[in-house]
Amino acid sequence: MFSGQMKTREPARSALECGSGAAALARVLQDDRTAGVGAPALQGACGAASACVVLMAVIIFATTVAFAASKPTLKSIGEALICQCGCGQTVYGCNHFECASRAEMNALIEKEIAAGKDETTILQDFVKKYGVQVLASPPAKGFTLLAWVLPGLGLVVGLAVVITFVRRWRKPPAKPDQAPPAPIDPKLLEAVEEEMKKIAG
Amino acid sequence: MNQAGSVALIAALAFAAYGVIAGALGGALRSLRVTRSAERATLAFFVMITVAVAVLEVLILSDNFNNAYVASHSNRDLPFYYKIAVLWAGQEGSLLFWTFLLSIYGGLAVLLNHRKNRQLMPYVVAIVMATGAFFTSVVFFVANPFGELTLTTAAGTQSLTLPDGNGLTPALQYNSMVIHPPMLYLGYVGFVVPFAFAMAALITRQLGDNWIRVTRRWTMVPWMFLGTGILMGAHWAYEVLGWGGYWGWDPVENASLLPWLAGTAFLHSVMIQEKRGMLKVWNIVLVITTFFLCIFGTFLTRSGIVSSVHAFAQSAIGPFFAVFLAIIVFFSLTLLFLRLDYLKSENKLDSVVSRESGFLFNNWVLLAAVFAVLWGTIFPIISKLVEGTTVSVGPPFFNKTTIPMGLLLLFLTGAGPLLAWRKTSFKSLRQNFTIPLAIAVVAGGVLFALGVRDVYAWMALFLCAFVAVTIFQEFYKGARTRQRVYNENFVAALYNLTMRNTRRYGGYVIHFGIVLLFIGFSGLAFRTETKATMAEGDLLRINDYMLRCQTLTEGEDPNYIYQRAVLTVTKAGRALGVLDPERRLYKASQEPISHVAIHSSLVEDLYVVVAGADSDSGKAVVEAFVNPLVGWVWIGGAVVFWGTLLAMVPSRVEREMAEIRRQREEVVAEDHV
Repeated sequence: MFSGQMKTREPARSALECGSGAAALARVLQDDRTAGVGAPALQGACGAASACVVLMAVIIFATTVAFAASKPTLKSIGEALICQCGCGQTVYGCNHFECASRAEMNALIEKEIAAGKDETTILQDFVKKYGVQVLASPPAKGFTLLAWVLPGLGLVVGLAVVITFVRRWRKPPAKPDQAPPAPIDPKLLEAVEEEMKKIAG
Repeated sequence: MNQAGSVALIAALAFAAYGVIAGALGGALRSLRVTRSAERATLAFFVMITVAVAVLEVLILSDNFNNAYVASHSNRDLPFYYKIAVLWAGQEGSLLFWTFLLSIYGGLAVLLNHRKNRQLMPYVVAIVMATGAFFTSVVFFVANPFGELTLTTAAGTQSLTLPDGNGLTPALQYNSMVIHPPMLYLGYVGFVVPFAFAMAALITRQLGDNWIRVTRRWTMVPWMFLGTGILMGAHWAYEVLGWGGYWGWDPVENASLLPWLAGTAFLHSVMIQEKRGMLKVWNIVLVITTFFLCIFGTFLTRSGIVSSVHAFAQSAIGPFFAVFLAIIVFFSLTLLFLRLDYLKSENKLDSVVSRESGFLFNNWVLLAAVFAVLWGTIFPIISKLVEGTTVSVGPPFFNKTTIPMGLLLLFLTGAGPLLAWRKTSFKSLRQNFTIPLAIAVVAGGVLFALGVRDVYAWMALFLCAFVAVTIFQEFYKGARTRQRVYNENFVAALYNLTMRNTRRYGGYVIHFGIVLLFIGFSGLAFRTETKATMAEGDLLRINDYMLRCQTLTEGEDPNYIYQRAVLTVTKAGRALGVLDPERRLYKASQEPISHVAIHSSLVEDLYVVVAGADSDSGKAVVEAFVNPLVGWVWIGGAVVFWGTLLAMVPSRVEREMAEIRRQREEVVAEDHV
């Protein structure tokens, strides 16, 4: 969901972690190549398509890194702070009609912006006044860094699990010296194809 | 009346307990008689819960303010249809409603499997009834909606009847709130059936494809209702709460999203088991996870352990739910562990570039999203427990962690169906991907030229173009093939193609709905807003729109008093009509609330709120938002809904296969004669 903050200001840690996931997949593909799995064309296709998924992941996650801090606005600060009326929403998104807390906090944000303070300083001022729970996302330090690290780690571990299973489930490559399979009865083949056509429509 | 409700609950509890025991015995003894008795208990459970619901509705509709629940959530002047909705407006009533829907699902499972799945059914009944017994116990012992108001004086305790009730929370007095909770609950509750079938399959060791086939529709129905319920909630938030948005990453919203995401993973993953006999353990894990998250979400939002805008009062139900959750985990995982030998994969993976691995990647991202949302939702509790400090985890956290995952899923939505089962050749990849990628690149260039600079929005729209073209390409190619083979016209070919494989093409329709949803989400990046204090005759400009305040009026309804701003709207000089947002003060609760006015089009919504009134000057504080593309969220939701219905229609292939099976059975029967 894209609610609110589309432009991000903090680099996402998951971008780096995703990069290591890509490396892991690349290693798997490399292993496959050295093991001589499948025909060269198929190997290329394997590499291309799997790398495509991982590349998409890297591109998408890396975009969060690309956007540096911009000038603070009522909206950008309002989206980074939790309204203290008890609604649990940000100051910008507080859905408490005629909320006194939102009005007070908005007034303070406007005052701080007018004083020429940058976003970090404004947020620090709010933490001093209301405590750390006023921040809409946990600070990326100490114990609360875990909040940020684990989703990215989850993604990487998940990818590692998928890759492990893919490797385990891969069919062993067909041995070239294996006897060719017995020829299929043409009548049976015809009947099967007829049936397949019926099913496939 | 209150006693009648309580008696119905006790009877329901007795039937549920009997259903659990008789179901388990019927299965263990392989006795059809005992099993049938358990099934009848399920129907009796439904009847008793229906009686309890009917009693509570009668109490509500007859303004019985001796009943504590009615006095807290209703009032005399509340319109009839909102009084009906009082049933699910509070903790006690909504838990009873939850149980009622569970009893419907249980009854339907029994009736629709009267002659089918006879080995599974005793245990299905036992598990559904165990869940029913749990919820009935909570309703009866902890959150009973049939409590009476009493007054304790020196003379003793007397029954108390209030002249009027506190009224329904104003935010709930909207049409969409009448239908949104039932939809959501139909989603939450319905996942009990696939869970019960999975457990029954484990108990009976019937772990072939049968339970997967049987539960496909039983999973799609709650998945559809849950998704629709979530979007209806979003629509309600948009129309009612007056902040111009529709999703706030509130714990209750997150709790409903979690089982939907896990259910989506399950619906995709089962296809690998059906086609290739793989991922058997994983599918069981997913169905357990989905059901667990349904109950966990209910626990999370009703126990008061996380603060939420959806204010169910704190109550003592938390420990009950915690124990029930522990039982679910212990029971299901033990059973899974004991049956691991029966869940061996029948096939190997032929290639990394295959539909199978596409589904694996899909499951990877969906489960990672489940984890990220779950982690963010419970992190404040963990932080409080570990460090003793309260931290907030709000929209910025969820946007940063889940938007990238959402975009990756969107990419897989387009790429996955282009991969063939077993393995995809490079030639086929090139054939299938060239046109969608080329069109997406052109669309991306056009968007950039049009000035789209928000990277997420640009990427979402780029991927939407890619996925939409892949879907159209699939329909087009299929229809063209049919045209050639069967000499049909294109429209007939398209229709026959879809109806011949409703599951596949219904799935594509659902994917297209998801594309429309993402188009709608991307619009949030371009939102603009303004605010002004207006007197009659004043003007307010936002983008191309000009709002002129015609009148500021005040009035009264039996239920509330209101202040209304009547605004004429023009866009680039063209008259668009009148918008009349209101500020309402509900008499019973004395709570103010906004009544938003929206001018919708497919391009954007003009969204106007009376955010307050200056009593000295008599002016109105008017907030206006222009929300681009938001209408596509609701259209996308509707497309997903209809696509799901289409995917549930038995396809011609299915019907033909069923007919062949029926004929074979008849031949076998004749041979025996």
